[in-house]
Order: sequence, then structure tokens, then C-alpha cells
Amino acid sequence: MTTTPAIQATELVKTYSGKDGEVQAVRGVSLSVEPGGIFGFLGPNGAGKSTTVRMLTTLMTITSGRAIVAGIDVASDPDGVRNKIGVALQEAGLDLRQTGRELLQLQGRLFAMSAADAATRADELLELVELTDAADRRIQGYSGGMKRRLDLASALVHRPEVLFLDEPTTGLDPASRIVVWDEVRRINEAGTTVFLTTQYLEEADQLCDQLAIIDAGLIIREGSPQALKDELAARVDLGREPSLDDVFLDATGRTRDRVAGQVQEVRS
Amino acid sequence: MNTTLILARRAFREGIRQPDALLPTLFIPLFFLIVNVGQAAKIFPTSGTPFLAGQNYAAFQLPMSLITAASFGTAALYLVEEIEGGYFDKLRATPIPRASIVLGRLLAEVPKSILISTVMILVAFPFGVRIRAGIGGYLLIVLLIAGWALVFSGLMQLLALKTRSAAATNSGSLVFFPLLFLTPSLVPREQLSRPMEIAASLNPVTYVMETARSLTLYGYQWATIGRGFLVVGVGLAATLALSVRAVNRYD
Ligand SMILES: Nc1ncnc2c1ncn2[C@@H]1O[C@H](COP(=O)(O)OP(=O)(O)OP(=O)(O)O)[C@@H](O)[C@H]1O
Ligand SMILES: [Mg+2]
Repeated sequence: MTTTPAIQATELVKTYSGKDGEVQAVRGVSLSVEPGGIFGFLGPNGAGKSTTVRMLTTLMTITSGRAIVAGIDVASDPDGVRNKIGVALQEAGLDLRQTGRELLQLQGRLFAMSAADAATRADELLELVELTDAADRRIQGYSGGMKRRLDLASALVHRPEVLFLDEPTTGLDPASRIVVWDEVRRINEAGTTVFLTTQYLEEADQLCDQLAIIDAGLIIREGSPQALKDELAARVDLGREPSLDDVFLDATGRTRDRVAGQVQEVRS
Repeated sequence: MNTTLILARRAFREGIRQPDALLPTLFIPLFFLIVNVGQAAKIFPTSGTPFLAGQNYAAFQLPMSLITAASFGTAALYLVEEIEGGYFDKLRATPIPRASIVLGRLLAEVPKSILISTVMILVAFPFGVRIRAGIGGYLLIVLLIAGWALVFSGLMQLLALKTRSAAATNSGSLVFFPLLFLTPSLVPREQLSRPMEIAASLNPVTYVMETARSLTLYGYQWATIGRGFLVVGVGLAATLALSVRAVNRYD
């Protein structure tokens, strides 16, 4: 049986034109994400992860190529896509002057819910991300972990089919990180496809069933975490089971030795 | 309910939650009023200054203060804060017309402006300042000033969308400030020196000021009123069109 992919990107390219010339941030990314899973998008700083997410979530024009999300073409029907996706960006953008409850209710209203429905949904989500007690306090006073969880909740207000999370756990302490992982798993088990970017290889190993590694705007590895490790083990003899770290370092051409050497250079 | 109204309600709620942002809007123009009147009232006594039409100099100065207060709009500062913080993108990821993001914030400036103008007119009342055109005149003044507040906030929002930087947006409002003083702010336009008169005549703010002033001092001078509302109307149409275009093209 073939299912339609939750995300289908074909030769996506993004060129930023700034003051000092053009930057090709994404140079031809093709992806196919099956529905129902958790897809991890890995890459070093500046690889083009956020740029790809912003194109897939209608926030940025696509220079060339094509993206279909939840069966809808991103460029030709952005509002159609927006109705089917949830987005939590790298910055956890929240309106700090509102309370958590107000923010979720507003989000619901912007997705065309009635005031009563939006209020009910906000209560459910506050429960889900364990923010009920803080619901009526201004977001300004929330901790980093609480803000992340609220951002996650706000991405779920309209029960999206596909959820995009750009570095959902960056800057969180280990305990908060595990709370977010649990929530992402729960959301996924409830049937939402998750596309997440991360810098943490352990996170990818724990959560994701499919991965892609992007470097300098191009996808350089793709597959399940196990398949990627097996592929490396077959190719290079490390004298031990390769970890996802090894896969990442091998793929991005940053061997441990070279990384150590670069640090050395900086120090001297 | 319409998404512009939903977002306007949110912006208004935030405005009243941040009274420290509102207070300078009220106090700086009142300070100008007191200082200007204190310095110049002796030069322009009620009797012997025909352009005061029997009122004291504070009545002549009040419109300047109302316009100054209307040129303090916080809409753009909050918008640029949201652009920098990422909430703007969150809103752009919802299926609402992009225009309602900027229009909602602007709409919230209207009740705020009406409130501030009313407070200032009430504060001037014990000092003998009366609006010659009566209640109708008060309504026209408040409407005109609210329109001006929208033009100013709209321009600043446009700057916020184009530069995406709080620093640039702040400087923008400072650059705009001198325009308030290239007006017949201390004496009627006919009494300015020739170069100042030319500058003031080219400055749209002059016509807004003259409209509010004529309603305060002289009653209904329809030609003057028409010019003031025309300036605000054209300004509003232009800034709204440009802002909507900028937010739709935001990438
Ligand atoms: N608005 C922009 N204008 C110009 N260049 C940009 C812009 N945004 C990103 N870039 C550049 O595009 C490249 C990819 O950036 P992107 O933010 O997509 O990377 P990333 O993989 O998300 O990195 P990080 O892990 O640091 O978040 C970088 O070289 C970055 O400097
Ligand atoms: Mg990023």
C-alpha cells in the first residue's frame, strides 16, 4: 500500500539576497516524510534547517523547487497548508504581555474557532503541557521550559496533521528536555506527523524513526537511525558500535580529530 | 468575529496593561503645554491678541499638545518587538489575512487616542480652555486626532516592517518629531517669518493643527476643517495601502 507523504519536497532552493550579495542557504533539498512518524532533520549551525522549515511552513517564499505538505502545494495554497500544520519555531515566539490562556485562546480564534471552543481547547492544551497552574499569569514570567511547552501547545490548537518543531529543546535543562520529548511522543501517538530539527543527536536517536542530515544546504544522509549507523559500520571500522554522533561527524566531514584540531587552533 | 477585531482587542488589552508606556504619552504633551503657555502667555494676553478670540493662550496651544500625544503611538514598537521575538511569524503561520496583523494593531490605537485626547481636553478645562464649537467640535477634534494617530502609527509600522529593527523604528519616530515643530505652533501661520511660513505650508501637520485650533477658538470654519480631514484622509489611505502591501510581501 502506498500512502501519500505528509511532506514532499522536491529540489527546494532558497537564495537570500542581502547587502553583500546572495547567499544560497538551501541548495536543492528533496525529502519525503511518511505520515505518522517523527522525522528528524539534523545539521550543523547554518546548514539550512530553519530555512527549510520556514519554506515548508509558508513563512518564506521558495526560490525554486516545490513543496507539498499534507497533500497541499505550499506555494499555491498557503492558507490551506496553514490550516493543516502546526508550527513552533526556533525562537519560541510568544506574546509576553498575554497570559498563557489568552495566547492559546487567541490562537484558536485565529483558526476560526468560536470563543467557547477556543476556551475549551485552551484548557485541554494547558492540561496537556502541564501549565494549568500558570495559565493566568503573564508569559513574561514563565521559565524557558514553560515557554517552550506553551509554544508547543499553541502549535496544536487546531489539531494539525503535521507538526513542525524547529529545535524544540534547545536551551532547556535535561529534565525539561525529557518533558518535551514525552509530549512530542504523545502528540505523535495521537496521530500527528512530526518534523523536528535538532542539534542533539541523542534526541534524534530517542525520538525519530527517520532522519536526514543537511550540511551547507544539501542533504548528505537519509534513513532510519539504525540504518545510518549500520551503513557507517560497514564502511568504516571504528572498533565499536557507531553512535549517531559518529554518523553525524562522518557525514559532515568533521571528524573528531579535525574538530579537536580546530579547537586547538582557536586556543593557540 | 473578524480577525482584525480579534487582534485589535488583544493589542488594546496589552496597551492598558502597560500603563508605563501610556504615561509619557500623556505627560510629555502636557508638559509642553504648560511650558509653552508659561513662556509665551504674557506676550499673548487674552485682550489684545485677536487670534485668541477671547480665550487664553492655552486654548491656542492645546491642539499642538493633542497632536504631540497622537505622535507617540506604541503600535510600531510592539510590532517590531514581535518581529524580533518571533511572535509575528507565529501569527503569519495562521490562516488569517496578513493585513489584519497590522490593521488590528492600528485599530487599537483609535480608542487609546480618543481616551488620551479626552483626558487632555479635560485637564485644560479648569485652566479656562473651552471648545468654541461645542460637543460637535469636541467630537470632530477627537476624530481628527485619532485619524492623525493612525497615520503616524501606520508610518511607523511601515518602518518596522521594512527594517525589522527596534533601533531603526525608534530613530524613525525621532526623525519625524521635527515635523511637529515646523508648524505654526506658537503663532498663526500668517505671523510666521516668510521661510517658516513656506515650510509650515508644505507640512501636512499644519493643516491638522489648524483644523483643531479653529474648532477650539472660532467654531465651525468648514474650509479649514475640510483641509484638515482631507490631509488625514489622504495620509491614512496612503499609509494603510503601503502597510498592507508591506505585510503581504513580507518574506
Ligand atoms: N534572512 C537571512 N538573510 C541572509 N542570510 C540568511 C538569512 N537567514 C539565514 N541566512 C543564512 O542561511 C544559512 C542557513 O541558515 P539557517 O538559519 O537555515 O540555518 P540552521 O541550520 O537553522 O542553523 P542553526 O542551527 O544555527 O539554527 C546561514 O548561512 C545563514 O547565515
Ligand atoms: Mg535554525
